[in-house]
Amino acid sequence: MKRFLQGVALTFCFVMLLGTVCFAGATYDKVNKDGVVQVGLMYNSIPAAYFNDNNEWVGFDVDIAEEVVRRIGGQMGKELKVERVKLNNKTRISFLTSGRIDMSTANMTHKRERDRTIDFSITYFFDGQKILAKKGRFTKHEDFVGKKISSMQGTTSEKNAINLLKKLGDPNAEKNVISYQDEPSCFLALQQDKVAGWSTDSTILLGYAAKEPGKYELVGDFFSDEPYGIGLPQDDSAWRDAVNFAIQDMWSDGTYMNIYNKWYGPDTLYYFPMTEKIEMWP
Amino acid sequence: MRSSKHFAQQFGIITAIVLVFYAVFSHADFGYKFYWAVLYEVNPTYKEIFGYWLLRGLQLTVEISLISTGIALFMGTIFGIARLSTFKPTYYLATGYVEFFRNTPLLVQLFFWYFAFPLALPETIRIFLNEHNYEFWAATLGLGIYTGSFVAEIVRAGIQAIPHGHVEAALSSGLTRAQLLRFVILPQAFRVIIPPLGSEFLNNMKNSSLAMTIGVAELCWQSQQIESFTFRGFEATSAASIIYLSLSLSISVVMNTINHHLKIGQDKQLTLVDRFLALLFRPFYLLGTAVYLILRHLKKRFNLGEYAPQHEEAVFASVWSRTAAIIWNWMGYCAKIIFVCLFIAVIGLAIYAAYSFNWGIIWKNLPSLLIWTFPHGGQGEIFYGLGGLTMSIIIAGIALLASFFIGLVFGLGRLSNNALISTPSVLYIEIIRGNPLIMVIFWVYFFSPIVTGMQIDVFWSATIAFTIFSGAYLAEIVRAGVSAIPHGQVEAATASGLNYVQVMRKVVLPQALKIMIPAIVGQFISLFKDTSLAYIIGVFELTTIAQTLNNRLMIYPFEIYTTIAVLYFICCYSMSMVANHLEQKYTPTRRTARSAG
Repeated sequence: MKRFLQGVALTFCFVMLLGTVCFAGATYDKVNKDGVVQVGLMYNSIPAAYFNDNNEWVGFDVDIAEEVVRRIGGQMGKELKVERVKLNNKTRISFLTSGRIDMSTANMTHKRERDRTIDFSITYFFDGQKILAKKGRFTKHEDFVGKKISSMQGTTSEKNAINLLKKLGDPNAEKNVISYQDEPSCFLALQQDKVAGWSTDSTILLGYAAKEPGKYELVGDFFSDEPYGIGLPQDDSAWRDAVNFAIQDMWSDGTYMNIYNKWYGPDTLYYFPMTEKIEMWP
Repeated sequence: MRSSKHFAQQFGIITAIVLVFYAVFSHADFGYKFYWAVLYEVNPTYKEIFGYWLLRGLQLTVEISLISTGIALFMGTIFGIARLSTFKPTYYLATGYVEFFRNTPLLVQLFFWYFAFPLALPETIRIFLNEHNYEFWAATLGLGIYTGSFVAEIVRAGIQAIPHGHVEAALSSGLTRAQLLRFVILPQAFRVIIPPLGSEFLNNMKNSSLAMTIGVAELCWQSQQIESFTFRGFEATSAASIIYLSLSLSISVVMNTINHHLKIGQDKQLTLVDRFLALLFRPFYLLGTAVYLILRHLKKRFNLGEYAPQHEEAVFASVWSRTAAIIWNWMGYCAKIIFVCLFIAVIGLAIYAAYSFNWGIIWKNLPSLLIWTFPHGGQGEIFYGLGGLTMSIIIAGIALLASFFIGLVFGLGRLSNNALISTPSVLYIEIIRGNPLIMVIFWVYFFSPIVTGMQIDVFWSATIAFTIFSGAYLAEIVRAGVSAIPHGQVEAATASGLNYVQVMRKVVLPQALKIMIPAIVGQFISLFKDTSLAYIIGVFELTTIAQTLNNRLMIYPFEIYTTIAVLYFICCYSMSMVANHLEQKYTPTRRTARSAG
């Protein structure tokens, strides 16, 4: 028994050490040396990054990240391996600051407040915030004054929703925006009429609304721009350039639109017309 | 009794530790700049003082804790008594309540009350609930019902602790069963149960932090909100921890005082705190006395009780009392029949609900819930993509093993006479026990990258948090176990020339371990239930998988949540059977008591 316990304790210490061997450093050099990129992806966001019926991790963000890494490998002249790391709204920024991941492709809006802590690539996806509600109940944003709206804690949409209600004259704006820990909870709350609307980036809303076609609709216009950037470690311009060039190359040779149409094209459940252009540097 | 010199030493050491921490944190460079002003200055971006947010959260935490404590006390007393009922349906109902709610994680229960339960109600009621702050009430009721199941066990044990002779004496002196309960059993039982009840209320307060998962803006939620607004996770979490700690401390001081006042037959040395609190409780005491006096006056006024009847009246009275007794009996039967009907209806409803389940969905997803994608996990995934129930068990197992050694060190450390050793142990144990587990998880999560400069996998982050948390509880178990060994044995062993390590290793620990085993299994069960909290930082254990599946399937929340509740229940219940078995095996006194009774 004693031997056994000693063995277990030693193994435990050893495994702990193994688990901690992942250093933060100049990301570009590190990737070049190891040939591995740690990519952070959400796991609960349809259709950006989620587990499908066969428990495969798929989605728009997943394809984009894989393609970006493949192209960076091309720039470096070697094949890079992708290591996927699961992220949620709590971990997607702190994993970057602590060096656990090299890039985070995770529905992340490029915000100035966030830019103080991490860096962003150029915008790789253009979204905006809307409100999803049960069909036929609301026609404009003003209808939501005094009603409850669900959102996810720690997101920009939470803040935007509060600001919208405030602007429209709701004195209890802060109480009326109820923040949950994940998207499924937000949707469930809407489904069960706990809230009148769910507000977040429109593509996420489309993904959920498609689950029960004909029951939900988006109300009103966009009330904020949500330019998504790939989150990158602070102050590593070689790495940032590599990512930016990869995104631009994808756009110019059409790969980007192929991936886009696979997830948001007219034939999909989440149809979302592409109206913008990715920033190009000659 | 420890001397005042000892306390002075302890105070000195605590001050020293605080100073060292201060020095380290203000000068050392972790690559992270502490910015405590975030809590009290007006934030330039948002024009708000974030410290107020914490206070608002504190208010909600206190409200939830107080109301749910009341509910728990009420439910616990009723079901605790019901568990001793000789009427079988009552007993079954109470046992079902206690076992089910004790053996499933609170997090899953809260999800159930908030997301699944309202679906069973009519539309109008649902709308009414949703308009009346249902988040708050679901959290409060859920918490009350959960804690109630623990209180019920405490009440049951308290009542059973009363010698049977008291009951017989009371019955033979003519008290009715209600009077027996009111005047003999409950006053004594409550004295026995107050200490465990106090720690249950403490747990209840800490558990209120889980309300954040269903969108209640309590203290823990607010600290995370500050984190998401400013990315100052460390500062916000520390501030919330200190508030939780002070809340815990005040609860234990109050409970200790009450305990002290209620003790029978011990000389009471009142401390300053005791006197102060007694002053605080004085109004309640006076109120109670006033009510009692008024009742006695009314009783006298209407000659209730002390009434000597004339002859005819006596005949009438005896007829009347016989009729009353018959009516009373019949009412009892009716109540029983109604109760049985209700009982059957509840079971019928449950069967009907189970019948209307989409079993195909459950079967199809059961493998995912048990092992997730093992062994086909992707690159860099921990344990080849293992997850779900197996992951929960692994986390709990590793944490228990590691925390056992921590518990041993700090438990013995706390018993040491050397203040240099005992003070850090006390600090560790009390600080951890005074905080909710969620806070410890956030702490490890925000703190480890600051100190080590790197981020470990969330799996390890969670496991370390569980280890630290459960270490403090195991330390207390170890302390209790070691204290239970008669001091004479230690003296005898020392006198025969063994040194401290030998005394512990050869004499005390082997015996203490036997006493500790049931408590350790109990700790393992609660650790296993607590793994559901790892959901919050995205560890792929059972609850996270359930959320992920629910996310994909969308329209089967009932099926998914019931399945994981049943999975948790099966594991916890079988472990608690093991615990009971071990308890009977290793507690000689109880065994003899049982065979005698």
